[in-house]
Amino acid sequence: MKEMMKMMIVLSLICGIAGVTLAALKQVTAPIIEEQVLTYVQAPAIESVLADYDNNPIKDRKKFDVDGSTVTVFPALKEGRLTGVAFETAGKGYGGDIGVMVGFDIQAMNLTGIGITTLKETPGLGARVAEHGYATQFKGHPLESVDLKKNGGDIEAVAGATISSTGTVIAVRRAISIFNALKDKLAGGWS
Amino acid sequence: MNRLWKEFSKGLWTDLPPFKLVLGLCPTLAVTNTANNGLGMGAAVIFVLTLSNLMISLLRKIIPAKVRIVCFIAISASLVVAVELLMQAFAYPLYQQLGIFVPLIVVNCIILGRAEAFASKNPPLLSIADGLGMGLGFTLSLTFLGALRELLGTGMIFGVNVAWEGFEPIGIMVQAPGAFVSLGVLLCIMTFVENVRRKRRGLAAVQGPTHDCGACGGCGHKNC
Repeated sequence: MKEMMKMMIVLSLICGIAGVTLAALKQVTAPIIEEQVLTYVQAPAIESVLADYDNNPIKDRKKFDVDGSTVTVFPALKEGRLTGVAFETAGKGYGGDIGVMVGFDIQAMNLTGIGITTLKETPGLGARVAEHGYATQFKGHPLESVDLKKNGGDIEAVAGATISSTGTVIAVRRAISIFNALKDKLAGGWS
Repeated sequence: MNRLWKEFSKGLWTDLPPFKLVLGLCPTLAVTNTANNGLGMGAAVIFVLTLSNLMISLLRKIIPAKVRIVCFIAISASLVVAVELLMQAFAYPLYQQLGIFVPLIVVNCIILGRAEAFASKNPPLLSIADGLGMGLGFTLSLTFLGALRELLGTGMIFGVNVAWEGFEPIGIMVQAPGAFVSLGVLLCIMTFVENVRRKRRGLAAVQGPTHDCGACGGCGHKNC
């Protein structure tokens, strides 16, 4: 009985101390990790979808509430004027969620392009959605009728990768609906 | 002091983890496609192994024998999570490269092996020396294997081009099969060197695995 008590106490103590220490460490590192993810995962995508800006989109980011969820919006400012925005959405792919950074041009009201942030698709097949030929189809695309050709749209799917192509299209459509909801808030400019 | 040095140095040759003990092969095979990855993985293992050895050694009289494995795993798992968080915060590109293999340090046999075989029976200072030595041996092995594969597969070491002009990289060396091939060749060389050393001292050669006929009948082996 005494041995049993000792086992329980020692094990609980070790686990308890480990838990508290890790929780504290997580709290301390969380903001640094967020910064790192922004720099290494999202910054390259933002650079590829936003053109013509002279600010730091990551530094100037702002959070907006759209339909109950929070969206982090990265602005493109030229001489203090808002020219475009970019934010990340996700669509279901073959190997998990595909994260897509979608850029919008405020003046022309069209897409400036997409950049893939998270991709776990099959290499050489689904992963080709991140390649030039597929992704550039979204550049300058109007906000309406973004869809694959087989559904009556004008986006050519990656051959043999319908699920991955559909995933990105769904992510872009999600982004467009968020953009439409945000439009009025953005009209007043940034800051 | 002598004892300390002995515990430290055994991890560098006589008990070199991946090549002599043949322990911890999962990360050895998986992340050594570049020298840099091998070094990063090794550094993470040094950190976890030394601290887990220290803690287990300090707690060795408190931990009841019947639940010792659970306690060892709880301690090393916490350290691994700490490493993962710190790596994400301060070395994100390395974390992107190593990915899933960082949390898998928990199940690296070296950690539990040293805890069970050494730290739970020895005082803290010796355990630290053991952890540092084993960790350093592991790091050197991984870095060497990584450098070898990177050199043959891409013509670079630590991302710096060192190959002569007209060098044709062997792409397969940086992929999974290259890991097995180079590990096998390295093990072979290590055994050969060890045998030469033993012969000079008049000792018997390294024993290969013995053929066990217990489970099979008529496998055709000459010992059966």
